Amino acid sequence: MKTGLVIAAVAAALSVVHAQAHLDPALLGKPPVDAWPTHHGDYSGRHYSTLNQINQSNVKSLALAWSYRANTAEQGAISGGVVAKALPITLGAGAATGGLLKATPLFVNGVLYLSSPDHAWAIDAKNGREIWHYYWRTSGGEYIGNRGVGMYGGWLYFGTPDGYLVSLDAATGRERWHQQVGEVKSNYYSSAAPVIIGRRVIVGLSGDALDVPGWIESRDVETGALQWQWYTTPRAGEPGAETWPNDFAREHGGGMTWTSVTYDPQLNLIYVPTGNPNPVYSPEDRKGDNLYTCSLVALNPDTGQMVWYYQTSPNDAWDFDSTQTPVLIDTTIDGQPRKLVAQATRNGMFFLLDRTNGKYLLSSKVAESVNWSTGFNSKGQPVRNPDKLAQRGGALISPSNGGVQNWAPPTYMPETGLLYLNASQGFDIHYTYDIKGSPGEFGHQAQAVGGYDMSMRAIDIKTGKAKWIHRYSGSEWNPPRPHQVGGLLSTAGNLVFSGAPGGFMVAADPQTGRQLWHATIPAAATEIKTNVSNTPITYMMDGRQYLVFAADDALYAYVLPR
Amino acid sequence: MSGRAFSRIALFVFASTVMLHAQAGQQPPRPTDDRIGNRLGALTPADPAAIERGRTLYSSGCAFCHGADARGAQGPDLARSLYVTNDEGGRVLGEFLKTGRPANGMPPFPTLTAGDLTNLSAFLKTRATAAMSRPPMDPASIVVGNATAGAAYFNGAGRCSTCHSPTGDFKGIGAKYNPVVLQGRMVNPRVVGGGRGVTVPPPPPATVRVTLSGGHVVAGRLVSVSDFFVTLIDGNGVRRTIERDNDVPKVEISDPLEAHRQQMLVYTDQIMHDLVAYLVTLK
Repeated sequence: MKTGLVIAAVAAALSVVHAQAHLDPALLGKPPVDAWPTHHGDYSGRHYSTLNQINQSNVKSLALAWSYRANTAEQGAISGGVVAKALPITLGAGAATGGLLKATPLFVNGVLYLSSPDHAWAIDAKNGREIWHYYWRTSGGEYIGNRGVGMYGGWLYFGTPDGYLVSLDAATGRERWHQQVGEVKSNYYSSAAPVIIGRRVIVGLSGDALDVPGWIESRDVETGALQWQWYTTPRAGEPGAETWPNDFAREHGGGMTWTSVTYDPQLNLIYVPTGNPNPVYSPEDRKGDNLYTCSLVALNPDTGQMVWYYQTSPNDAWDFDSTQTPVLIDTTIDGQPRKLVAQATRNGMFFLLDRTNGKYLLSSKVAESVNWSTGFNSKGQPVRNPDKLAQRGGALISPSNGGVQNWAPPTYMPETGLLYLNASQGFDIHYTYDIKGSPGEFGHQAQAVGGYDMSMRAIDIKTGKAKWIHRYSGSEWNPPRPHQVGGLLSTAGNLVFSGAPGGFMVAADPQTGRQLWHATIPAAATEIKTNVSNTPITYMMDGRQYLVFAADDALYAYVLPR
Repeated sequence: MSGRAFSRIALFVFASTVMLHAQAGQQPPRPTDDRIGNRLGALTPADPAAIERGRTLYSSGCAFCHGADARGAQGPDLARSLYVTNDEGGRVLGEFLKTGRPANGMPPFPTLTAGDLTNLSAFLKTRATAAMSRPPMDPASIVVGNATAGAAYFNGAGRCSTCHSPTGDFKGIGAKYNPVVLQGRMVNPRVVGGGRGVTVPPPPPATVRVTLSGGHVVAGRLVSVSDFFVTLIDGNGVRRTIERDNDVPKVEISDPLEAHRQQMLVYTDQIMHDLVAYLVTLK
């Protein structure tokens, strides 16, 4: 009798967990209110919430509800992988052992789903307690980051440092399957958060240390079977092949797809931002525009066919991936309702395009320090200053390798028509030198020399100019890379949330940049600075609006006191 | 993105008093072969004898078209070949070599044994690994400017001589630092260090003046500053941290190196090169 009761109770508890761990796919295209069901909140990439319980009148009262420290212990974890024992891992640029949280969590039915390289977690959003921890035994790979999970029904999807897509049961953390997306032996790895569109998992790819080709692909939500792949450089005989000097260069031209796409359900187009061409710092070895690298590309998600493209860095020479979030904006221009896409790119430029056809409306320079371009051509593309290519004596280039923008998304607020971002004005000195016995290749070295400053900027999308600039005190001389304070979030509470240098989360006035509230992030144990490291999210749970963000290896939830 | 094959980013960052946000851990140390092996998922290190046998096979059968170092000649660069990087024990290579690509001038090699293919694969993978790191740059090679023009700028338009003197603080500076370090420190003396094993003098501190309500002034050496806190050491050696909110109280920072920061927005590469050419002469 007693046992029966216990079993019944356990069964009831499990069924609650199972009911909780389910995402109604219809929520995916809706404004994120009771859920943050996909990487960007909704498909638009605006990182905007209609919630206003937290607003200018009460934001000063925000207080910490709980925190969660990322548990990366293999013991006690549900484990999977293609090898019996993980290889000793090699930390790449900006990487930290498993724990550095760059991922935007998902929030569905009271549970937060979070990931980092090799790890995924479900966390009870009521108290920050871990529900399950999944550990991937890696077969090698790159550890620069993992930007989050995707969800469909009761299933989760995330990428691994050795190039696999893993699907988990969201209720239990148990693995359903894994599928290889790219070969770790060719330096492919997976860091982008998968985006679910219909019954498709849209998966991007990372890795450019061996000049391998880039692509984006679609897989079946149930089986993981491959549906289509779209290569970011033209295949033999395709249009655009003429922008490469030869077949070898074209087929090894890179163009990784390492950030999450945005999607317009009415037009049925996904917007794919693509990375730098390869070999990375050798533009002379790949003379031409190098399509479709450093571009914004619109694809049909059902077929993977390209509908239009716009290249934001032709023949990139400085590793200025254009993998920044394409932000979908509906607004009126000259009295006409328009469907637009805005992108502030790593190279320091801002672009506004018609997202139905890719035609450009305006482009502008985001930051004063940007010095590699002499202006814009008739298509609005930046024109490179030929004197600014790497030199024997060194070319002082801004932005630095980290870019004015990087992977952390900006936010667009429909009420103000402004795009908010954190702009870094860094510099590198780029040198070129001969390498004996290496035909057709130059050595390249970039020397990091800090920079001018970092600022939050509010860009008027209709002019491309800043309405206001807030320069962060203390960011002079060595500004953080733009993502080192995380991404941004705006809300109908008339607030813009962002990390700030020195270890703070700030709520600012969208009209003026005035700082209305800040939280000081508790110091963590590792050497990584305790700045915000991911993009904040917000949602309603049990009648209360929460603000959730990560710094280093911890997740923090803030809420108004009862 | 990162994890670069064909570049090495040199960082000479040291903690500076005003810096709250040194870019800790942004770039990996120069990888050893083992570390690269893990990045590329090498489960077992190759047998050195197999690599040597592969090298012999390569030299006699492949080097004529693909170059002595396999980085390409008439034939493609094999360090960047997916047949090489994706190979496991010669199987992928073997499939390819059975037929070659006769239309592109690549003949078939159908008689290679499984052992030959394993050895050839082991050797070619060492070429791919080598392609991920590069010989370093010779710092002396960056001195390309005109020392006379550099001296003229130093004493004239650049106003460098306002603070620096070739017989004072810059005496022997061309011998102390290599030219890359010298150029980096010239651009950003608060962030770029002296290079391996070279200690640098601490940069002159910035000073700060905080005007509290009622006009009370707290002033001293700046320790750190952010939007929300300023920390200083006052004239009595007392460390004080003062909270700030939207520029209240008023905080005025005076940095003796500020001209260097403003110069970042002004430099032409020519001026930078000329200045370095001049500074290296101050032995």
